[in-house]
Amino acid sequence: MWRHQFLFNWFFGLEIARKKAYLSAPAGPLKDYLSVPFPALHTPLSQLNLIALDFETTGLNAVKDKLLTVGHVEINNQQILLGSGYHQIINTQRELLADNVAIHQITDQQQQQGKPLAQVVKHLLKTLAGKPVLVHFSRIEKQFLQRACLELYGIAPPLPIIDTLLLAKKRLDKRDVAYDPSELRLSALRQHYQLPRYQAHNALSDAIATAELFLVESQHHYANATLKDLLS
Amino acid sequence: MDNEIAEVRDFIQAIPPFDQLPLNKIQSLINAIRICYIKQQQTLPPSQCEQNSLFIIRKGALAYYNKNNELTGKYGEGDICTAFCHTEHSEDITVETEEDTLAYCIQYQTLQEIIRQYPAVINFFQDSSAQRLKSKMSQLNEDAILASSLMNTDISQFYHSPVATITENSSIQQAAIEMTTLGFSCLVVTSNDTARLPVGIVTDKDLRQRCIAKGLDYSLPVSEVMTKNMLTINEGSRAYDALMLMTAKRIHHLPVLQHNKLLAMVTITDLMNHESQNAVNLTHLIRKASSLEELTQISKLLPKLQIKMAKLGTTADHVGKSISAITSAFTIRLIELAEQQLGKAPVSFAWLAAGSQAREEQFAHSDQDNALIISNDMKPEHDQWFLNLATFVSDGLATCGFIYCPGDIMATNQQWRQTQQVWHEYFNSWVNTPSPQALLNSSVFFDLTTVHGNEDLLNEVRTQLLTKTKKSTLFLAHLSRNALLNRPPLGFFRDFVLIKDGENKQVLDLKHNGIAPIVDLARIYALSQGISATNTIERLKQTAGTPALTKSSAANLIDAFEFLSLLRMEHQAKKLAANCQADNFLAPKDISKLEREHLKDAFKVIKTLQDARQSSY
Repeated sequence: MWRHQFLFNWFFGLEIARKKAYLSAPAGPLKDYLSVPFPALHTPLSQLNLIALDFETTGLNAVKDKLLTVGHVEINNQQILLGSGYHQIINTQRELLADNVAIHQITDQQQQQGKPLAQVVKHLLKTLAGKPVLVHFSRIEKQFLQRACLELYGIAPPLPIIDTLLLAKKRLDKRDVAYDPSELRLSALRQHYQLPRYQAHNALSDAIATAELFLVESQHHYANATLKDLLS
Repeated sequence: MDNEIAEVRDFIQAIPPFDQLPLNKIQSLINAIRICYIKQQQTLPPSQCEQNSLFIIRKGALAYYNKNNELTGKYGEGDICTAFCHTEHSEDITVETEEDTLAYCIQYQTLQEIIRQYPAVINFFQDSSAQRLKSKMSQLNEDAILASSLMNTDISQFYHSPVATITENSSIQQAAIEMTTLGFSCLVVTSNDTARLPVGIVTDKDLRQRCIAKGLDYSLPVSEVMTKNMLTINEGSRAYDALMLMTAKRIHHLPVLQHNKLLAMVTITDLMNHESQNAVNLTHLIRKASSLEELTQISKLLPKLQIKMAKLGTTADHVGKSISAITSAFTIRLIELAEQQLGKAPVSFAWLAAGSQAREEQFAHSDQDNALIISNDMKPEHDQWFLNLATFVSDGLATCGFIYCPGDIMATNQQWRQTQQVWHEYFNSWVNTPSPQALLNSSVFFDLTTVHGNEDLLNEVRTQLLTKTKKSTLFLAHLSRNALLNRPPLGFFRDFVLIKDGENKQVLDLKHNGIAPIVDLARIYALSQGISATNTIERLKQTAGTPALTKSSAANLIDAFEFLSLLRMEHQAKKLAANCQADNFLAPKDISKLEREHLKDAFKVIKTLQDARQSSY
């Protein structure tokens, strides 16, 4: 169902999809989210208000795997507002695999003290309302958030997404030089722009890292862009 | 909500003055941060940021330019840009990104609210360079007192072992005989058994008060007059604690115990005199030395003394004066030894020290600068005696580690072994026709002191000279211009020293780029005011409040001079301790962030006064 909706977005635009989903959404956090219009497609870069978002999950499959932590930070007027930083562990109500614990460094105990998914998604929808989401490699965040909404509210909402990986890819594709896909990784791109090293796999750190990369990438290559040019 | 960002926190926490803030305030700062990205060659502040803001450079570089578009500073990662904290400052200065820059921007008003309860942090943003340096120096001086020696030194540095003891059944007379033989004013009394446990202490005062004054029979056992409940201190205590205990209880001797057994004795005199005692002791040894070999042996203690003094938290001024005094002692003893060989001087003379020794700012093993001023009664045939003297002393000093002067400013050089009349002429010609060489000579020979011999010889030359320099604006102008060639660096940029025109240097030459410019300025002030002092701090103090130098400028220069000298002293102590040559070169990577800030402040103070000097000519 949500895959079908994806095609729908492509043809009729996000704003139409939003209005349509709004009509069928049950009253509650999702309907509230959908009630706020997305910014106009011709909004210039300098006026964009974005939420850089990062999820840590137990795996790549949005149906089987679980959301572990959520981190986000706001970009306003081309500045990252560190005070808006948010980091939340989610109680998945099941035990974590040892492999994952090594990557995310979130223990079962921390996880059990986390908040229930419904509460975190409610917070997320409130934060994201009316704002495009900024993500590096958007598949995870998009699928997991839409899947969570589908489970919680029966509807997967349209999400206006700016993907820093795609922005970099577009730029590299334009050149006639082959490149290694690993060059598109967040850490590799940051290194390319000589940005400081951050601890990977912390959702808030990664969200800030993505936001910083966006400031750099957009000022160097998308300085006169509008939202339309940036959306993936 | 857990939005602690470890990377940002660690980064901010390491930057002075924020390193003085508690964690919750650091967190407030982080919450106030707006990260912005500014491409290179843009002027700060960027349009998207609040105009009155503090910028912390996370990545990239900023360059500062003054009204004349001259580079005044460069800032890199971890540096802060305070240029836009106040609106009134931002007009004289332009800040540009020299590289693409990722900056943390904090509205100044918000910053002020966060640091409201932390005056030291507020001052960092409000004070001038001079004010910051002043508070740093007063803090250092306080630290020196607190951390002085005794606080940090283990009591084992001071105590004597073994302790002179006497058994409790010995007679009072035996105790007195023992004390007289040993030259001690106190004995510890022990039990008769083989354990020899300490049971009391007997001092001169006890013998006087409890025996003689009372007419007590001195054949009675010493236990009759000893102090029974004697105070002791345990091995491993701080020397400071021992001093406090003795001061509080008004006692002069304190036995040191190890596992309840008598180990050693510490006296109040040991503790109170220890700082100066080293230098005094060394001078005493030098005076008693009867051969060059002995002197050479003693000279090997000099670096150790310098290390020790530096460690004890002594001021650089104190070290400079002590080392200079010791060098003088070596010189005097060598002259005396020479006289034993050569016979008495044919006419009166004075052995002069020039340069750092004369200014009493010498550190261990610097080069020798000396000269001879001889009575006008000198006949040509007398010169051989003075040459022999000069050679003996100069070689002797070299053997003792004071290397020959590379510029040949030594009494062995006939040019600097002359009669008073010739010296008068020298100074006259230097002042009247200030050639480059004359200016070079004057910077050495205007810092002169008599080490040995007839002091009048130099004093007369100096008096005449000072009346002349005071009036000779042309000479002072030349001397000033020469001195101003030696500019302090602009500051630091990453791990380099940044000098004029944006050039980078690997090391900071503390002597030539910091200390010497102040020494030069102080000399010019003194000469222009006819002041005879040679010590830099003394010159600055005496010229303070004259037309040459305002009181506050003098105070600023003294702070800068003390700070730079202190850094040099600590650096040299480290080098000496590692058995390396004590040099003046500091690598920026070895200078802490805070020290860099203070160095920049010191440079700024020097530069301000150099500029003032420049515009007055």
